[in-house]
Amino acid sequence: MHGRPRKAPKPEEEAASVAKAQKLRALQTQFFSFHHNKIYTKEAVELSAKLLEINPESYTAWNYRKLAVEHYLSQPDCNPDWIKSVLDDELRVVENALRQNFKSYGAWHHRKWVISKGHSSIDNELRLLDKFQKADSRNFHAWNYRRFVAESMKKSEQDELKYTEDMIYKNFSNYSAWHNRSVLLSALFEKKAEGFLSKEKVLPEEYEFIHQAIFTDPDDQSGWFYHLWLLDQTVTTDSPLLASSWPGHGYDVFLVEDRCYNGSAFSPFTALHSDSGSFPIVLYFNQPVGGVSSSTVTVECGFNKNEDLLWKPLSASNSQTARVWVAHLKIPSSDLLSTVEVSAGHSKGIISTRGFEYSHPSMFSFKVHVQPMERDFSQVSVAESISLREENFKIYGSQSEESIINSFNQLSIKNGHESTASNWRSEALAKEIECFRELLSLMDCKIGKLTLARLLMAYDVMSYPFANKLVHSEEVLELCSDLMKLDPTHYQYYKDEHSMVLLQKVTSSKESLLQHCFQYKDSVSSAICGPICLRLNNLSLSRMGAFEKLLWVQMLDLSHNELQSIEGLEAMQLLSCLSLRNNKLRSLTALEPLRKLKLLRVLDISYNQIGDHSIDTTRYLCSSPLSHSVGSESNKDETVTSDVALIDNWEAFYIFKDFNLNQLEIVGNTIADEKFKSVLVKIMPKLKQLDGKLLG
Amino acid sequence: MESFRSLTVTQRDQILVEQQVFDIFKTFYNLPPSSQSFMLELQRENHVEYLTKGLTGLGPSFCVLDANRPWICYWILHSIALLDEFVDPELENNTIDFLSRCQGPNGGYAGGPGQMPHLATTYAAVNSLVTLGGDKALSSINREKLYMFLRQMKDASGGFRMHDGGEIDVRACYTAISVASLLNILDDELVQNVGNYILSCQTYEGGISGEPGSEAHGGYTFCGLATMILINEVDRLDLSSLTDWVVFRQGVEGGFQGRTNKLVDGCYSFWQGGIFALLKRLNSTKEVKPIPLGDGEGSGEESPQTTTSSDAAGEEGLNGDLSLGGSHSEIGDQHNTSSQDNVIDIDHNHSKGHANVEPLFNSLALQQYILLCSQELNGGLRDKPGKSRDHYHTCYCLSGLSVCQRSWLEDEDSPPLPRAVLGPYSNLLEPIHPLYNVVLDRYREAYEFFTKS
Repeated sequence: MHGRPRKAPKPEEEAASVAKAQKLRALQTQFFSFHHNKIYTKEAVELSAKLLEINPESYTAWNYRKLAVEHYLSQPDCNPDWIKSVLDDELRVVENALRQNFKSYGAWHHRKWVISKGHSSIDNELRLLDKFQKADSRNFHAWNYRRFVAESMKKSEQDELKYTEDMIYKNFSNYSAWHNRSVLLSALFEKKAEGFLSKEKVLPEEYEFIHQAIFTDPDDQSGWFYHLWLLDQTVTTDSPLLASSWPGHGYDVFLVEDRCYNGSAFSPFTALHSDSGSFPIVLYFNQPVGGVSSSTVTVECGFNKNEDLLWKPLSASNSQTARVWVAHLKIPSSDLLSTVEVSAGHSKGIISTRGFEYSHPSMFSFKVHVQPMERDFSQVSVAESISLREENFKIYGSQSEESIINSFNQLSIKNGHESTASNWRSEALAKEIECFRELLSLMDCKIGKLTLARLLMAYDVMSYPFANKLVHSEEVLELCSDLMKLDPTHYQYYKDEHSMVLLQKVTSSKESLLQHCFQYKDSVSSAICGPICLRLNNLSLSRMGAFEKLLWVQMLDLSHNELQSIEGLEAMQLLSCLSLRNNKLRSLTALEPLRKLKLLRVLDISYNQIGDHSIDTTRYLCSSPLSHSVGSESNKDETVTSDVALIDNWEAFYIFKDFNLNQLEIVGNTIADEKFKSVLVKIMPKLKQLDGKLLG
Repeated sequence: MESFRSLTVTQRDQILVEQQVFDIFKTFYNLPPSSQSFMLELQRENHVEYLTKGLTGLGPSFCVLDANRPWICYWILHSIALLDEFVDPELENNTIDFLSRCQGPNGGYAGGPGQMPHLATTYAAVNSLVTLGGDKALSSINREKLYMFLRQMKDASGGFRMHDGGEIDVRACYTAISVASLLNILDDELVQNVGNYILSCQTYEGGISGEPGSEAHGGYTFCGLATMILINEVDRLDLSSLTDWVVFRQGVEGGFQGRTNKLVDGCYSFWQGGIFALLKRLNSTKEVKPIPLGDGEGSGEESPQTTTSSDAAGEEGLNGDLSLGGSHSEIGDQHNTSSQDNVIDIDHNHSKGHANVEPLFNSLALQQYILLCSQELNGGLRDKPGKSRDHYHTCYCLSGLSVCQRSWLEDEDSPPLPRAVLGPYSNLLEPIHPLYNVVLDRYREAYEFFTKS
């Protein structure tokens, strides 16, 4: 069978095995007759043992033996000694079978069954395991059984931890042992066992231990994977936290029903045009959570009753967990000033995907000012188009800098109580950083560089809220660039990391962020103070990130980058104008995140690669054609079935039907021929302008 | 550091395998082009001969597989189908009759006549019958009883048991769901909580283990991922860490290992390679990228490697007991709904350069490993040089090869470009449905048959 050595048989061996096969056939016939007639005599049971010794995979025979054991144990004259001897027999048969094939599922399973009856000694089991684990230290059946025995026979995790240590000293490449270590430590942390109350003491020792393996041979992969686990343990706080929100604490939000507001009175950062009668409240958590609802998050304000607020997760999938949650608060009809208080986590129910409760209740409040529509301008605003040309942007001067200072500082929610608890984490990371710098000074090692980059990023993220700057971003960017050259097969991966770090850097201070803020004002606009546009163009970004700091953005210029994906952009609920011109988007389905942006009115996806590739790799996620539920799900609107062109453009329909666009630029994509454009116009009847042309 | 100074057993074994493999590659590169192309040729006739012989009679050394007889049928029939060959009508009839005798009175298929029904052999039997195709084969499956059997195997926890009183693991979930899906008897009762069980098996490495607490493993990762796709809950998995995990499993030899730091093995060409075929269909808006930690996708000369490997003699594929499966995806049909406007000259991609129809693994390196290191010239394929051929490895090496040859394509209905197929173009195998691992045409026939009935 698989994985066991095979040799060409010699003639005499062949003869022997023919005889063996005949013997087996005879045994089998007899066995089936015993089994089917429920005969459990000593002779019959012994025969099944013989069969199993030859073929341990004969699961029918294992089940027969279970029935036989039950039969014996139900006898009226059954006493403890008798039970023990029956069960010992079983263990003996299993052991013989395992000698023949130690990867037999049936044999290991039978042993578990026998053990679960009690009456067996743990020492015996450990002796047996030692024997098998010596023969094959990676056998996962044996490791599974070991975990089973340790748990059911109450062997302490500490002892088992010692065992993995011994195994690792024998062979530090034995990843199964490292893995079991991670399982045991997780259990000990969870139990808060003595000596494992906090990770603070344990993890530094683990780092020491893993260094021995990594420094001995940096090319051995086992150690690096365990290191990755340690890093995760160090960085991840168990309970989820609220990372940021929109509106932020202390915001003055101006809701303007008319797009052409004369902005001098309002901060361009916090004035929001709304024609839908509501505005979004966005919660951004540091990890995906579930259970955000009107019972776990309370919103108190003068004009709205909390209970009709519906919180929705924002994620690409349909899952009920997400990092970002949004609810839409209705705007009161009259001119009004009102304070809104949002508190999260005062009652239980927000839970991370890893099962930890949101345990740091937090509260933020903001003011809402409503500016009613000025009728005279309404016609103008409808006809107005937005053109993201260079000449329409003015550097956003210091004129009202205080507004962004205020909003910037209010972006992140501080969790003061975390700071002291986290000291050991930063210390552990600092120590690791030093250690890997040393390793890299001795040799050039790409995994070492990658690990160092990860450590530095983790360190920066952890200390950021207090230090308010990213100390190492330059170094990380350099490491990423290095790795792109060193390891071209994974170029794209490093490029993505590079993009993420760059974005973190840009958004890390108000000075750097202000350099990217421009005031939009075109020649025909009647507004005196135009909206603020965040321009992250020409940065050769391959991926978008740092969303938690960008929730306020309404106008975003990502043109002239190398974006293939805009995953995560759904978090930017206020976006009304977005340019993705000159990127590398390859399919319509790559636009999926935009479906969740209800305020988006102007979109520029011109000069991408949509339609260049005959086959769209991203297609399959749309209503999952691979799923068994396909067919029951009915996307087929009447509009589709009645119009052949729409059936042919199923994806376009799926993506664009939820859009609420006034203006779309799609020129410069293979897909965008006249026929396709006419389809778009059908799908989006509200569209007013397509590729610069006004639609009738 | 004292204690770790010398090479570990794992590292020594790995070095030995590498030497063997690199010797083969070196010999190959020093050959004149004509001999090179001979070495890269898939020995179709010899493989068919080896396989057909296995179907008519097996030597006595096969008695350890006595509880796995439908598996032998599946490995052989599927391999033959991949090679686009047929078995003769009498043999076909005998096979159908034999499998009918394995079918239990209360549904499901056993490892052999008289044994109890078992999920893995049920999977193998159903896939065999689908691979044979035709009314006789397909109608021999008692779907009502089989459904009852699946319900009996369902555990309260959501997982499935392999057989009455048997073990619960990811294999069992996969084989149950795959069979139900293929036979069009999948319903909410069967699906309920299966996703929770699979989720509990995804480890921090990103891959999926056989049971909770165990380490990630190629075969189980395939099974878990395919199951989640079949029950439409794949979004619940951490797909990006799963991708990170699986891209690491390709070593400098070109082939895949099954777990961290184990030796390369030809059968993972499918278990791991098939994962890429599934991921390719899922990659939504996100481009899933390999995390480079170690070996990544090396092809021979490149990079000092990190794959060291296994300790003792044994690797485990999920021998005999699991295999893989498919879904109700009308992969083919869906293509018709795609935008006509998208259909453009495929050479266009070429001019765009790196236009990213590229697979996430090194497909040519894997094909090279399969053809040069796993193939026995006189028929049959194997784990690695120095091991002997068997039907299991033949089946999964060929399945992996088929996946590889189409790894640039999304559309199984169009033939791949010659440069995607290593060796002569005649090496091209039939396309498979990656969720079930049956040849695509046969899947379609079965799909139609079971949709109607």
